[in-house]
Amino acid sequence: MAGLLRPHIGSFAAVVILQVIGAIAGLAPLLAVVELGRTLLSPGPIDHGHVWTVVIAGAAGLLVRLLFTAASSGIGHVLDGQVQLSFRRRLAARLGRVPIGWFSRRRTGELAKVVGEDVSAVHPFIAHTPGELVAAFVVPLVSLIYLFGIDWRLTLITLIPVALAVALVPLMMTPSRLREQEEFDAAMGRIASSVVEFVQGISVVKAFGGSERAHRRFLTAVDDFVRVFYRWVRGVSVIAAGMQLALSPPFVLLVVLIGGATLITSGGMAPADLLPFLLLGLGLTAPVAALGHGFDDMQAARRAVGRIRDVLAVPPLPEPANPVAPRGHRVELRGVRFGYEPGHEVLRGIDLVLEPGTVTAIVGPSGSGKSTLVRLLPRFFDPAHGSVLLGGVDLRELGSRELYRMVSFVFQDVRLLRASVADNIALAVPHAGRDDVVRAARLANIHDRILELPRGYETVIGEDAELSGGEAQRISLARALLADTPVLVLDEATSFADPQTEQAVRRALATLGGDRTILVIAHRLETLADADTVVVLENGSIVERGAPAELLERNGKFAAFWRSHRSAITAEAATRGGVLQGDEPR
Amino acid sequence: MIRMLLRVLGHEYARPMRRTMALMTTTAIAEGLLYALLVPVLRALFGPEPGDARPWLVAFGAAVAVYAALRYISDLNGFRVGTTMLRGVYHRLGDHLARLPIGWYGAGRVGEVSVLASRGVLQAMSVVVHLLAPFISACATPLTIVAVMLAFNWRMGLAALAAAPIVAAIQVWTARSTAAADAERHERDHEASARVIEYLQAQPVLRAGGRTAERFRLLDDSLRHVQRASRRTVLATLPGVVGLTVTVQAMFTVLLVLGAYLALGGNIGAAEVLAILVLAARCADPLLSLADIGGKLRATRSELARLDTLLRTEPLPEPREPIQPVRHDLEFDSVTFRHGDRTVIDDLSLSVPQGQRLAIVGPSGAGKSTLLQLLARFYDVDAGAVRVGGVDVRAIDTEVLMARIAVVFQDVYLFDGTIEENIRLGRPGAGEAEVRAAATAARLDEVIERLPGGWQADVGEGGALLSGGERQRVSIARALLKNAPIVLLDEVTSALDPVNEAAVHEGIERLMAGRTVVMVAHRMRTVQRADRIVFLDGGRIVEEGGHDDLLRRGGRYAGYWNISLTPAASE
Repeated sequence: MAGLLRPHIGSFAAVVILQVIGAIAGLAPLLAVVELGRTLLSPGPIDHGHVWTVVIAGAAGLLVRLLFTAASSGIGHVLDGQVQLSFRRRLAARLGRVPIGWFSRRRTGELAKVVGEDVSAVHPFIAHTPGELVAAFVVPLVSLIYLFGIDWRLTLITLIPVALAVALVPLMMTPSRLREQEEFDAAMGRIASSVVEFVQGISVVKAFGGSERAHRRFLTAVDDFVRVFYRWVRGVSVIAAGMQLALSPPFVLLVVLIGGATLITSGGMAPADLLPFLLLGLGLTAPVAALGHGFDDMQAARRAVGRIRDVLAVPPLPEPANPVAPRGHRVELRGVRFGYEPGHEVLRGIDLVLEPGTVTAIVGPSGSGKSTLVRLLPRFFDPAHGSVLLGGVDLRELGSRELYRMVSFVFQDVRLLRASVADNIALAVPHAGRDDVVRAARLANIHDRILELPRGYETVIGEDAELSGGEAQRISLARALLADTPVLVLDEATSFADPQTEQAVRRALATLGGDRTILVIAHRLETLADADTVVVLENGSIVERGAPAELLERNGKFAAFWRSHRSAITAEAATRGGVLQGDEPR
Repeated sequence: MIRMLLRVLGHEYARPMRRTMALMTTTAIAEGLLYALLVPVLRALFGPEPGDARPWLVAFGAAVAVYAALRYISDLNGFRVGTTMLRGVYHRLGDHLARLPIGWYGAGRVGEVSVLASRGVLQAMSVVVHLLAPFISACATPLTIVAVMLAFNWRMGLAALAAAPIVAAIQVWTARSTAAADAERHERDHEASARVIEYLQAQPVLRAGGRTAERFRLLDDSLRHVQRASRRTVLATLPGVVGLTVTVQAMFTVLLVLGAYLALGGNIGAAEVLAILVLAARCADPLLSLADIGGKLRATRSELARLDTLLRTEPLPEPREPIQPVRHDLEFDSVTFRHGDRTVIDDLSLSVPQGQRLAIVGPSGAGKSTLLQLLARFYDVDAGAVRVGGVDVRAIDTEVLMARIAVVFQDVYLFDGTIEENIRLGRPGAGEAEVRAAATAARLDEVIERLPGGWQADVGEGGALLSGGERQRVSIARALLKNAPIVLLDEVTSALDPVNEAAVHEGIERLMAGRTVVMVAHRMRTVQRADRIVFLDGGRIVEEGGHDDLLRRGGRYAGYWNISLTPAASE
């Protein structure tokens, strides 16, 4: 935090100094009234010249105050904008370097909230607090010294309301009050999550007539919150009202007047000396009022800074000091173990070699660890034990630029940017020429569709046009094809959005081949049949592996699976009345 | 502002709201009036006989006591009314959200609504508790003080009064001039947060292209736009703040000069001048705080406006005299449906006899899923009619319509809870045995066996702890349990791997038996067993008929069928 603010220290100082000068100059008109009073109330003839000097001094003070506080507040807000920008840039930079897997355990919305709202919540810290706190403490301090100089007894009396208010503060900090505050936060959280559930599940809720249930849950959370809120308010409001009253101008004036009248009638004080207390005495309550006033904002800002700091503290994916260049692109997994949470392993000792120029297909029931396994290759996660090697080099010793030059992937969760179609395809190869982009788009079966868009390749997705799920997946495939990396990781599930996508994926698998290392989560029997190696994953372990024909002969899990599906395919193909292809592995 | 607040609250709150404001105004006026007593107190204290001040002081003390009592009652009342209103708004919002058409819940809504429904409501309602009283007091107290000044010295009172219209004009002007800047700022914030989400979600791809934060221009641009917009907001508010300060200070200066002039001319007693200047100081402080309160009120106002817009979004109209459909055949009669300016369904007519299966096939964006959504009345048609059992869906009570339809979506949402609870959602009154039977029929039993905790296993928010295929099976079990006569299937098996697909298919077959079914699918295995197939493109029916029939015709459908079965090698 301090490090983040250091470059702005000069501006901060300017904000504070301007504010101090402005605030103190603000006392001038009040002092002018005091001086005017002294002159008017003094016996004997009135010095006209002195009166006008005093009046001019008071007006000048007002002008200074106006200029300086306006400048301070202006600089403060501009500074605030700069600090927020640098916070956001820092956060974005850090988030661009944390392990990708780290994201999967966090909600994107929450992270976006840190970069957006939480940084904004720091606003009072930067734009208001330095100036206002200084004004709230420096001005009363100066006034206090001045008043002590005039009459120490009345000064002490004037402080009585402040003392009363301060005495009430501990009552607001009792354990039960603090507990109520916590309950309040928790109840607010319950409302937020019940709303998310309510909204996200709305189609299910409506389709199944369960709207009663989710609705009731929301209302229960609301009533719960309101009850907590009411209890909290009731507990606090009496004390808060008491504090407000003690600090209110009428009460302070009453105290000053009683004290002043007593001193004046007993002859202990000149009547004119009462004036400064009536004018400046009220200002003494400012620090306490400021504390109460800005307290909630400050608390919120502190919590926000905490969350920002948490994100900035996430260790980035370690980059090797001396990156090693891979030799070739054989991929090896050696004794790989991995789990998202301690104590629950998803991969339990995987040994697997993917030879260049081969297609390896993974098949297995859901929850067997297929998706996790393929995500280790682009280093979304590092394995807990064992290692993943590319060209004989551990991924951890490979620079991330080098890694992504070697490995591309097409996964299920496609994300298109709100940018032109061409930019989206060329995302991984920013300097690709238009011809290359078009070639990749053709290969991915999306070229014709792109030409139908309002501005062709320049169409901005999400603004000029929306693409369907299948089309987005083909764009993502074109991305991978353009990247043209020697290692390709593919989740075939993407292909099932529509037949064109399915065809595109199959064509890519067939034409890419060559010297590439391809790993695919297979969803079609044809893919399994055409693969060089099939790996059957179950419960985080490889239970069978080999060429498809071999596995069929072995009559194990793969063979059983194959047979159950072949009947269906035969039925399909028979209806079609064509030649059956791919019903037997090579 | 108050009118909008009342609209959001509902008019049953108009009365307590008015009472609260009246109480706050009374308190503020009482404060202004009690300062009037300063004049005789000071006149006595500054005069030759300070002892004469005693009765006035007693009166002042009594006035402060009255003010204290009023203020206490007003504060507590504000808290109480505020809390009641908070509850009222939450309930109104909840009821309203439940009535909005599903079509309204687009992609960006989750974030928007959840922010609005949690912090947003609280912030909007904080007007009543935290801002209204200071605002009223900052307006009413100075005005009362000016009236008091007028009573004691008309010249100084008039000088003070001259500031009132200027202060009011500045407040109005600032509110107007900052509204545009505020709106722009909000929009920039919104855009930046969309970019941040995009940046986070696209991390893998961005890294593959070496696009780190500094080099991802789209994000950095939007962050800089936020900064620029916030600077513009500051610039837009600054004239108002400075103008207010200038006016208030000018008023004070004029009073100071005028007071000195009158006192020197002997037109007014020294004690009166000094008392009036003390009053002027009492006037200035609350007026200056108006700038601060105004800023906070503006922030609240935009939150309130968002709530207002949401609450004014019309839910789908419910029929006055609902008709109960007797049969379960389905019919689209010259249906046209538009989404924005895009025609999604274009004058389409179609019918499905009771107990038959219709499959819808076509390229992405053809309007396939929309047909299902129109049947379940997630939206209303723009022209034509959708009928269930011969009755327009708009004439059927929503609950009744929903009770007849079971939908299995491609993307399944599960509620945070156990698997059993999620299945039971299909029919809350179902017995234990029925729930188990539905689960077994959907081949969920093997999933449940594997999960730690089995039946009582928690599925996590949105069902995150289950895989896609497993969620799909829960959703099928739910539909089986519901046992509705009409079944709508949306791309149910499209994203499943072979192992899951087999399991899901078995469940689907059981679900379809003996029911009226409309399914969107491209897995031809499901399609070919339909009684009739419709090929949709651009919101129109291009081909329709039985599977064999369509294949023989050799048109679009046959082309699709061939693509899906031809291995890549032969191309």
